[in-house]
Amino acid sequence: MLEIEQRADGTLALAGRLDAAQAPKMQAALDALTGATRLDCARLEYVSSAGLGVLLKTQKRLGAAGGLTLVNVNAHILDVFRYSGFDQIFRIEAAGA
Amino acid sequence: MLEARRGVVPRTIGPEELTRVLDVTRKLAARFDLATLLTEVVQAAEAVIEAEGGSLWLYEKERHEVVMRVSTGMEPLRMSADRGIVGECVRTRAIINVPDCYADPRFNQAIDKASGFRTRCMLTLPLVGHDDALVGVLQILNKRRGVFDASDEQLAAALAAQCAVALQRAQMIEALVAGERLKQEIAVARDIQMGTLPRTMPSLPGYELFGAFHPADETGGDTFDFTLLPEDRLFVMMGDATGHGIGPALSVTQMQAMLRLAMRLDASLDAAYRHVNNQLNDDLPPERFVTGFLGVLDARAHVLEFHAPGQGPILHYRAAAGVVDRGMPTTFPLGAFPVEQVKPSRKLRLAAGDVVALISDGVFEWPGRDGGEFGVEGVEELLREHHELPMKQLAGLIHQRARAFGAAQADDVTIVLLRRDVADAATEVELPRDVAALEQAVTLVREFWQRHGLPDAERFAVDFAIEELFTNMVKYGRGGATRIRLRLAREPGAVAVLLVDPDSEPFDPTAARPVDLAAPLEQRTPGRLGLPLIHKLVDDFAFEHTGLESRISFRKRIGSN
Repeated sequence: MLEIEQRADGTLALAGRLDAAQAPKMQAALDALTGATRLDCARLEYVSSAGLGVLLKTQKRLGAAGGLTLVNVNAHILDVFRYSGFDQIFRIEAAGA
Repeated sequence: MLEARRGVVPRTIGPEELTRVLDVTRKLAARFDLATLLTEVVQAAEAVIEAEGGSLWLYEKERHEVVMRVSTGMEPLRMSADRGIVGECVRTRAIINVPDCYADPRFNQAIDKASGFRTRCMLTLPLVGHDDALVGVLQILNKRRGVFDASDEQLAAALAAQCAVALQRAQMIEALVAGERLKQEIAVARDIQMGTLPRTMPSLPGYELFGAFHPADETGGDTFDFTLLPEDRLFVMMGDATGHGIGPALSVTQMQAMLRLAMRLDASLDAAYRHVNNQLNDDLPPERFVTGFLGVLDARAHVLEFHAPGQGPILHYRAAAGVVDRGMPTTFPLGAFPVEQVKPSRKLRLAAGDVVALISDGVFEWPGRDGGEFGVEGVEELLREHHELPMKQLAGLIHQRARAFGAAQADDVTIVLLRRDVADAATEVELPRDVAALEQAVTLVREFWQRHGLPDAERFAVDFAIEELFTNMVKYGRGGATRIRLRLAREPGAVAVLLVDPDSEPFDPTAARPVDLAAPLEQRTPGRLGLPLIHKLVDDFAFEHTGLESRISFRKRIGSN
């Protein structure tokens, strides 16, 4: 399951698993974004390549508008981003940063 | 259910009518193809009920639509399953008898207008299959004499029950056939994809190579490739497209084809990477990308130069230190964004015994039975402990350990391994007793020198000594079909050379005296000119003879050692 909560400051707080099954739900939430947005990953447990795909699609779309910043990313997800080179596409702030 | 529906048949149906229904039922039971069956159901209804026309709507549950594939003189038609009399029948699943269509507001006159048929009266029946699923709606038009009565309704209901079952069976068969065809097409796609992988591992002097691909589905989103380039260079490629199945399989196969062509056309690694990245960026949907490794291994310089867009970790087992280095991707995945300025490639220097492992995330992320993943550490441990295994076995071991760790394979698995031969690796050749075989010996020495990066200046002495000794063996050996074995081995600070003649008289070349240049020509012995010189050119010149076998060995010290 994936929970997406929009906070008053526009931050999307994610909780659960961003996998192939949850990617469409995440895509729908990301499609509503029009500018630079922070994703709070403090309670996000897992990201699969399908999850990376929806983030990538959004980053491409937002482009000049500033794109996504991922904050409070846990060590495992950070590894996924580093091993796939996605840390070079998104601004990422590790947990505790 | 079938029995229950048969119970619907009322007593008012006469023996003749019953025979007609049963006749039709038998006929329908022999039909397996849906298109023919649709026609026959309508014709049967017309015949049994004595009507002028009929139409059959198949119900599509997913879209909540009805489709008329067959009707007297009409093209296929599709509409919402809520519309008109058909819609009402779908909803209520009850027989609807309309004696005067044009007086009924539910009647859709558009269909008559399109067909030119004028519908007077109409009987509409639900076709319900054996699992109570609605198969479709049957409409019988214009009773030949008068309008449809209660007995027609009952007869039609009996017929409809039989038709529904026959239709359902035909639909299932059609779905099965379609599934089977898809399976065959997937099998062809798999053959094509697997056919693009290297069938045999190329032989690169001084290196052992192995690659394997195990798709999670029939087709997969991974690929790898080895392409030999001039001057003992090898293009090494690996790719992993998001997802698995036919779509990603096409993406990676396309990438592999582009790269193979680029390298054959002598493109630079940077240019090949940039063009393929930008092409994939144009071609792929925005959420898709391919992680990859594109490298050129120079087997003479022992340098692996590469771009690893999104591919990581790249594991490098360093034999001298017994540790595994974890390399990160050089940049983001292929197709994620266009690239104008290529980030510099990375270079790995490979020392003797080093192993480079390119492994898709299907291994690292292999799910455990109790959660967790196989992880990078597990692979690193295998590299440290089993780096000396043949690469094929090591790859098999990695795959096997991952399988043993987890329940089922969730993602494609690709394992590509490269190992530089260990320093004291020996090379050996069996030469026929023919001076023409000297060429083979010279080639062996030259390749050995290149593989170990030895200075050319030292090679002359080895060539000279081998030629002298081999020629003697050919000339003075007892001959026969046996071959002469030549072995070269790298030792610290030296190259050790061994020549073995399995069938020879004892003749000690190391005891050869310097030639008496003053002696008359007839006393001069061939070979005696060169043998004494060997002492000056090489070290540890030695001779052994046991049984019939002669073993002549020497070392050539390399460099300052």
